[in-house]
Amino acid sequence: MNNIAQRDAFWNRIYDIAAQDRNVILISADMGAPSLDKYRKDLPAQFVNVGIAEQNAVLIGSGLALKGKKVYLYAIAPFITLRCLEQIRVECSIMNIPMTIVGVGAGMSYQDSGPTHHVLEDITIMRSMPNITIHNITDSVMASAVAGMNIKNTTYVRIDREVFPDIYSPDTDFRTGAAVVKEGKDCYLLSTGCMTHAALHAAKRLEGKSIDVGVIDIYTFPINEEFLLETLKGVRKVVSIEEHFLPGALGSAVGELILDNGLPIKLRRLGITHAKGFCYKYGGRETIREYYGLDRESLDREIERFLTD
Amino acid sequence: MTADISSLKNKSYELRKMVLDMCIKAETGHVTSSLSSVDIMVALYYGGILKYDPENPHWADRDRFILSKGQASPLLYTVLADAGFFDPSELDRFAQRDGIFGVHLQWDVPGVELTSGSLGHGFGVAAGIALGAMMDKDLFMVFTLLGDGECYEGSIWETAMFAAHNNLNNLVAIVDRNYLCVTDFTENIVALEPMEDKWRACGWNVKRVNGHSIKDILEALAFVRSRRSHKPLVLIADTVKGEGIDCLTNDPIWHGQAPKGKDAEAARVCLLMRQNDE
Repeated sequence: MNNIAQRDAFWNRIYDIAAQDRNVILISADMGAPSLDKYRKDLPAQFVNVGIAEQNAVLIGSGLALKGKKVYLYAIAPFITLRCLEQIRVECSIMNIPMTIVGVGAGMSYQDSGPTHHVLEDITIMRSMPNITIHNITDSVMASAVAGMNIKNTTYVRIDREVFPDIYSPDTDFRTGAAVVKEGKDCYLLSTGCMTHAALHAAKRLEGKSIDVGVIDIYTFPINEEFLLETLKGVRKVVSIEEHFLPGALGSAVGELILDNGLPIKLRRLGITHAKGFCYKYGGRETIREYYGLDRESLDREIERFLTD
Repeated sequence: MTADISSLKNKSYELRKMVLDMCIKAETGHVTSSLSSVDIMVALYYGGILKYDPENPHWADRDRFILSKGQASPLLYTVLADAGFFDPSELDRFAQRDGIFGVHLQWDVPGVELTSGSLGHGFGVAAGIALGAMMDKDLFMVFTLLGDGECYEGSIWETAMFAAHNNLNNLVAIVDRNYLCVTDFTENIVALEPMEDKWRACGWNVKRVNGHSIKDILEALAFVRSRRSHKPLVLIADTVKGEGIDCLTNDPIWHGQAPKGKDAEAARVCLLMRQNDE
């Protein structure tokens, strides 16, 4: 168990790569971190601070990428995806200029900072565009491994601020895009990012009630359909769990998979409805999840009800 | 290279005619936005400013020309065809079923660096290329042509500040100051003047030129590779939208469309008369 921040795991790995490759360029929209301080101090020629200017970050990054640089952009997740969405669309999606967009603050991990800093739309929006891959990071092992991947097209790395226990071993091949993190028989929880930890806890609690349910962590979008079709053979019920607005994100992707392939699987989607919308609730992430019905008790109740129905 | 101004002027008329013909045939294209930039493009591509090789569009040491006002694609495509980047017969297929390019700029056309059509993008990417060139100690220059209406986009000023702060003196921006947007004159919409002060305040060297005087443009860019200033350079080129075809100038109705029928014939006559008057 590593217990380090996903952000530090990611940037520490990038530091090691950048120290060996002067074409690696990190563009920060005025974002700091201890791991970035080291990078900035030791590799100043490979560090560009554009200021609080995300549109320009994508544009400068695109120019650098066209010049052969390996570009990493870094800012708070809602800002580096949504503020500069049209730059991402034209440069990264339409023109397929490759760069790595690193957004910190997945879901509600900015907790008491409120809805401007929560990001509940980015997976839907980023997965709607061709030529963009999303890695919704689950733990620090994955963060480090994703940092080490060779990218061919634009990758959005969605980093949580909360420090979770590592659930993956360092030799995991993350190119699969999804993994069975708890074996199950005919029911699975399909989760992404921080909710994989919540799903594992829920599965364990349900075990105590003799309800056997597995957990699949879906961390890459587009989802690996082949892997899921194979893994879900014979499965009757799945519950998707995400700290994200429901339209268009994980649950939708799973629903598309089921419909497109005519699978005899019942799906229950747990996430955030537009009816609940944005919230000004404070007192930590679990309190906010209570409002949205994603807290431990609500999850247990909803999953149990669906699986035993 | 010493450019012969009168032959460059002839080239301008030739290109205007080609742009007009291709857009009339296609029944689309931003004719007037292209016409205001013709003399600037002639200075760059035919006046010995830009280094390029039509035989080798990806030549590593080429100057980068980024058309940020991507709606002037008919002009860039015409220049590139004329310069030998691809078969000029492609111009006949502009925005046609079997054509290789359409109304807005497309980066996979030989000689084109960037897809453009949404404004406020090309300038920033140009600055990124200039920064990369500086990191790699490359000697090529990056030129980018902006529309004045494009300067309403906030990203332009994000990049302007960034480029000056990072001393990108290998970057030259030219603003086609034709004063006309889609619906009205810029100074009626939201005033862009004083334009020079805005760029200067962002840290740029600023020159204001007559954008239809090839001689003035060439003089302004004469020593562009050996400037001692660390600042990037912007030319604010005063132009007329639709220049060269009087019946299309200074009327917003002609934005983004090609003249048809009698208007098309009138435009051709206007251009011919203007050429004969010179």
